[in-house]
Amino acid sequence: MNAGAAATQSPAMGIQFWTATAIFIFSYAAIMSEKIHKTVVAIVGASLVLVLRILQQHEAFHVESLGVDWNVIILLISMMIIINLMRPTGIFEYIAIKGAKWGKGEPLRIMVVFALITAFISAFLDNVTTVLLISPVTLLIADALEVDPVPYLISCALASNIGGTATLIGDPPNIMIGSKAHLTFLDFLYHLSPAIIVVMVFYVLAIRLIWGKKLKTREELKARIMAMDEREAIKDPSTLRTSLIVLGAMLAGFVLHGVLRLQPATVALAGAGALLLFSGKNDVQATFAEVEWPTIFFFIGLFIIVGGVVKVGLIKWMSVRVIALTKGNLFVTSTVVMWFSAFASAIIDNIPYVATMNPMIIDMARQLWPHDTGVHLLQHAGLMPVWWSLALGACLGGNGTAIGASANVIVVGMSEKMGRKITFKRFLLYGMPLMIMTVAVATVYVWIRYYLLG
Amino acid sequence: MKAKDLMVPLREYLTPDNTLKEAVNLLKTAKRGEERVGVKGLPVLDPAGRLAGMLSMTDILRAVFPSYMALMELGEFTWDGMLESMAKKAADKKVAQFMTRGVITVREDSPLMECVDHMIKHHVRRLPVIGASGGITGMLYERDVFFAITGAMLDDGGRDGQ
Repeated sequence: MNAGAAATQSPAMGIQFWTATAIFIFSYAAIMSEKIHKTVVAIVGASLVLVLRILQQHEAFHVESLGVDWNVIILLISMMIIINLMRPTGIFEYIAIKGAKWGKGEPLRIMVVFALITAFISAFLDNVTTVLLISPVTLLIADALEVDPVPYLISCALASNIGGTATLIGDPPNIMIGSKAHLTFLDFLYHLSPAIIVVMVFYVLAIRLIWGKKLKTREELKARIMAMDEREAIKDPSTLRTSLIVLGAMLAGFVLHGVLRLQPATVALAGAGALLLFSGKNDVQATFAEVEWPTIFFFIGLFIIVGGVVKVGLIKWMSVRVIALTKGNLFVTSTVVMWFSAFASAIIDNIPYVATMNPMIIDMARQLWPHDTGVHLLQHAGLMPVWWSLALGACLGGNGTAIGASANVIVVGMSEKMGRKITFKRFLLYGMPLMIMTVAVATVYVWIRYYLLG
Repeated sequence: MKAKDLMVPLREYLTPDNTLKEAVNLLKTAKRGEERVGVKGLPVLDPAGRLAGMLSMTDILRAVFPSYMALMELGEFTWDGMLESMAKKAADKKVAQFMTRGVITVREDSPLMECVDHMIKHHVRRLPVIGASGGITGMLYERDVFFAITGAMLDDGGRDGQ
């Protein structure tokens, strides 16, 4: 059946096909080369797709299967607004200092506590944001204890990438997958969070093994930590109270969005609106100025570039090749998707990667189950483990190298600023084995849960 | 009056390769004018004698201020002795790393109002003065400009009063 399907469904490889494919390849190559800013590449690539009429503007902006996924865009912007409003309250400093005190000033214990806190916060906030909020405190703690800050920085980035995998809103690939496959927050909580809890257990054991012996401090230095009073961090208790109420309501909204038939972006937008309204004295101009517009436009551009190759049939052609390779065996497909995604994400940005994989997996599903459509097709029992494998591979894979995830790039930049550069090699030495370990754990999880038991 | 009438001729300067330890020592002992010892900022000249930057007291403060503290509100969570240990760590770092580049300069024949314009708009308290040859010949200090203003005011005021 596969060979026949491949033959009949080969795309018409006309001029449009090659133009769209060339734009796609050159854009991805330019993003990887880092010679031109990735946002500029995405905008130029998307403009070419439109100017050369590979996509009509209507398709790029208003057709769900071809163009910009506004659910992702609005969700990202809303979450950024919420964080911008919450940051000045001092809640993140409070949590981190409290964590250091839970660690009782013991360097290794603090590292483990910080890894858990980072993973947990990352599950709800963007990874880069989490790292920007936690690692300054870890550096302060490392200075107070007079220990090497580099392991703390690396662990912070790795933990944020692991934690971000746990929920629908934790990491952009999950937001994209959730939106494309119409999966709910609860779906992610039910399927991915347990996997991440298991992965975190292994991660904590691993960091104890790697850094346990090396991190030593003196008793009098521990006293510096214990003398800190985390309550001094809270700068604005009234805004904090409002934020926590809104955040709680929003979390309830996410949990119930499937039942309420509200898209995640709607929930996030409502949360941002409520917080803007109730936190009162904020400067709206400044709050919006801090939204990471380059990231937002990177997404918009990528969606259009990928939409171009979806329309001309490149993605469908790729999916035919994948089915031919895996012979339609879904366990093989899941495993291949997970490991291929992991190594691909270690090298390239996982956002463009997932933007490409999403339509490819849907095309693959269309060929495997030609009689199903809509949500029945997108959430076909056979396809679900493939989605989870994509999410696990793409998110955990970011840990492999210093450039695998934005959070890694941030900590490398921070360490350089302090005059303690983490080289590409040093990051690889910790990141790659830990990535392989976590993906292996995830593979076993998927195998047991969906193929052995399911 | 012009810049050259008020400037203090250049005597001491730093090089980008000086350590911060050497730099603070020179800031402490540099002579300004006849009787005053100690300055709050010095020009940094590259080996060819060109102006590479300025190193001021604020730059020294920045050198001991950990970069992570700029990212979050962590001022309440510091400890006694932290500043001193950061200062010791920074002592051997190079001036080049912390000096302010892209310095605003004036020419010897720049009118004083032009100098004040720079001081106010760029929030600087001292301006390197560039001579005809293109090299730095002196420093113009806010304080000396202030004295010129004082002189002008009191001269007139004195005459009116009499």
